[in-house]
Amino acid sequence: MDVCFDDFHRAISDQNGYALAATITPAAPPYDPGRLYVFVRNTSSFTLQTDLRYAIIYNANVHLSKAEGNAWVDIFAAYWKTAIAVLKAEEDTNQGKIAEWDVVYAAWKDTVNALIRAYTSGVLAAWTIPCLYVAGKYLRVFAIKADKQASAYNGSVKFNDGFQDDVVGAIGKNEKLEDAARQINRIFSLCIGDRAPLEESRKWGLYYITNLLFKTYFKLNSISLSKNIMRSLQASSTDMPPLSAFPKSHRVTFKYYAGVVYFLDEDYVQAEAYLDEARRLCHTSSKRNQELILTYLIPCHLLTTHTLPTPELLARYPRLQNLFGPLCRCIKKGDLAGFDEALSASEDEFVRRRIYLSMERGRDVTLRNLFRKVFLAGGYEPLKEGQEEKDRLRRTRVPIAEFAAALRLGMGLDREGEGLERDEVECMIANMIYKNLMKGYIARERGIVVLSKAGAFPGTGV
Amino acid sequence: MTTSQTTSQPAPAPRKVEWPQSVREYVQRCFAPGSAIPGIDHVEMEAMLKKIITQAAESDRLLEIDWDKHPLPQQIIQAERKAAQGRASTPPLRSQPFYEGSHSYNSAAAGTANMPTSKKRKSADSDALDQNGDLPPWRKNTRNLEDRVSYAQNDRTEKRQRKKAADDATTRGTSKYQSTNTLEKRKQRFGDLADDRSPHMKEPSPTDSASDGPVVGMCQTLEKKYFRLTSAPKPETVRPLPVLEKTLELLKKKWRKESNYSYICDQFKSLRQDLTVQHIKNEFTVNVYEIHARIALEKGDMGEYNQCQTQLRALYSQNLGGHPAEFVAYRILYCIYTRNRTGMNEVLADLTTTDKTKPPVKHALAVRSALALGNYHKFFRLYLDTPNMGAYLLDSFIGRERLAALANISKAYKPDVKIRFLTEELGFESDQDCVQFLCDHGAEDLIEPKEDSIVLVTGKVGRLFEDAKTGAFRKVDIKGQI
Repeated sequence: MDVCFDDFHRAISDQNGYALAATITPAAPPYDPGRLYVFVRNTSSFTLQTDLRYAIIYNANVHLSKAEGNAWVDIFAAYWKTAIAVLKAEEDTNQGKIAEWDVVYAAWKDTVNALIRAYTSGVLAAWTIPCLYVAGKYLRVFAIKADKQASAYNGSVKFNDGFQDDVVGAIGKNEKLEDAARQINRIFSLCIGDRAPLEESRKWGLYYITNLLFKTYFKLNSISLSKNIMRSLQASSTDMPPLSAFPKSHRVTFKYYAGVVYFLDEDYVQAEAYLDEARRLCHTSSKRNQELILTYLIPCHLLTTHTLPTPELLARYPRLQNLFGPLCRCIKKGDLAGFDEALSASEDEFVRRRIYLSMERGRDVTLRNLFRKVFLAGGYEPLKEGQEEKDRLRRTRVPIAEFAAALRLGMGLDREGEGLERDEVECMIANMIYKNLMKGYIARERGIVVLSKAGAFPGTGV
Repeated sequence: MTTSQTTSQPAPAPRKVEWPQSVREYVQRCFAPGSAIPGIDHVEMEAMLKKIITQAAESDRLLEIDWDKHPLPQQIIQAERKAAQGRASTPPLRSQPFYEGSHSYNSAAAGTANMPTSKKRKSADSDALDQNGDLPPWRKNTRNLEDRVSYAQNDRTEKRQRKKAADDATTRGTSKYQSTNTLEKRKQRFGDLADDRSPHMKEPSPTDSASDGPVVGMCQTLEKKYFRLTSAPKPETVRPLPVLEKTLELLKKKWRKESNYSYICDQFKSLRQDLTVQHIKNEFTVNVYEIHARIALEKGDMGEYNQCQTQLRALYSQNLGGHPAEFVAYRILYCIYTRNRTGMNEVLADLTTTDKTKPPVKHALAVRSALALGNYHKFFRLYLDTPNMGAYLLDSFIGRERLAALANISKAYKPDVKIRFLTEELGFESDQDCVQFLCDHGAEDLIEPKEDSIVLVTGKVGRLFEDAKTGAFRKVDIKGQI
């Protein structure tokens, strides 16, 4: 048994939280694939308690207080059972049998409970919080596996069999993951409620746990719960270490998820700020993370500033190039028909990434670009007496019929423009004006649009 | 425990039989890790399984039995144990007067179901049930000594039972906040007439309700008031499917004639409850939910409508028939109404390519896209041409969309627009309605006669409609029940 606890003893005496967390990780590290197996084989359920006691409490290498020793014995006893369940599940999977991930989840939850108990009774010091990271991380991992197996087995609809009023209990229910979210939330409370002085507070674990919660809530499609977490972080921000003092990896992930939450809330300005920061902090070689960030940052930027990503930027990320490339070309050209086509071609992908409803609004920019072409094609007013060439004004009174003709071209309709009424053309122009993409007004009686002499299309140089 | 292993389990059959696929699947389900019930060990389960299959084979009913719905052996064992326990825990009931506070329909139910009026006859009644030829075979055969033993013990070990009953009450999640006494009172309101349970009545507890068998209803009365269940429904108060079918016809007739929504809603809720406790999931179930949803829509009862919609979504996934396209369209419109972007994204993710070709879905999607792009012209055209009952949903947010369009128009058109134009664009019935709407939102001073028509002076509107719009979009009472 002692051989399994060398790492534990070393971690305790070095006060190395991450090394300590590694000793209760329910997955073997790549450099030691037999770790769980060795640990399980080194004792039996009859001798477990004694063995653990000898390895943890009566060992001459470490000096733990009695309470601390007992807490670790509890934790390792639960961990031992988890390890057995994990090994069995892996073996079953390898043999093509149904693996019982729900059993693994339950066992791991016991381990996590033992850990949480140790923290609430104040036995474990704050430097050990990486153990909580491992706790939360694997709760999520095992819960997802258990749910996946359950839904493969029972289908995604759970019918009520008890004395309920309605037939269906839940749709697409992720029973275990929902439970995992609750457990991770307990860990969150454990961290945020710690009143110890900052330098030895569990508050240093907050952003890691927050990120885990974000991930879980996103998977569960309950984005609104993420907002609650952000609110409670906000509320206790005065007695928390500043975000900049946290490890970079915690910061990037937090900024990314918070940015996406704002994005989905249609607060594109706030979202852009968060995502932009995430992008700046993101490690240059982690392409995938950058891609994820840009997936939301590009639509954000399109909606806040009506500008498109440069071809150079897209060229660096082939996946983004596929996703946004065709759409960007159509927006630039003012090609409405092409835009609609590209949008519906990527609809599934956009919906999956929850950016469809935002990308759809790129149509406004496409329309603006089309109308801007009408304006440019209109040429200039004739020179007035004494006026110089450089002061020459563009024609600002544009007949609605010209916009209608452009729309017909842009939407790929025939010359007669069936299905396009003049009122609808006006409606689109009105929208442009209302959204400040165009400056001017519609004089309906006269059938013209009167555009502003100074900057009819704000931000585009004309 | 592997499936390959288990398929060979029922091998010791009396005759050499080629097991049908459905039986094999049934056996597989018995051994699946998910179906294990704590407290029932393997040996018991296997013994029961053997018994079930052997009996079925001997009586040549292997193909007759609907194995997909047949209870698993562990469930049967559990139900038996429950039944035994249920008997043991019932005595405290007897000290209560039975008809106190019971509702009129109870007596009606009792009458039609030929229920005993004196408590003396209760056990006799349960015996009568036992002889009922309709009992499934596994019931008849497993109605054994064990049940009777625990029943016989009843009077002797009163103390223990009281404790047991208390334990029972605490394990039921719902009774945490109810004293046993109030729970019993409530039970009686539901017509808890016979305190002695027949074995196929279930003892519900939320923890393992999934493994309980369905109730078999016996009530013949068509109408029934809705009560939220806090304990097992009594078969005497539950209407079986043929009765429920008649109930639906009656309710449809009554709705057409009387249009009394609170009555109808209540009746539909009890109808849904009866379907649920009997595990009836078929086209009729879908039909009930669809009709209730439509009626709720018509009355603008969004809360109730939403409940039905959630249920329908799951029912459609089981391909039980009904009108999925119509209701997917409502779901889209409902998401627009509640401005639920996450929900909308979910609907879009669920849509298949064939869904999108169905006219109601197409319409709803067009509405969505028109609103997303601010194309009020198209939106109000679509509004006037809404299929099915979507117009009721659209009506619930047409006002705020009109304000949005007005804010838009007043900013874009100068110096004024004709009322006629607004009436057309915003889908009003008449100019008068249009003017009324404008006045309702404080624009009476901005309406002026001009030459041969009346105009809205958009130049002077300022932020009037903009503010009204912001206000209208802010408050969406999602759970807005009548």
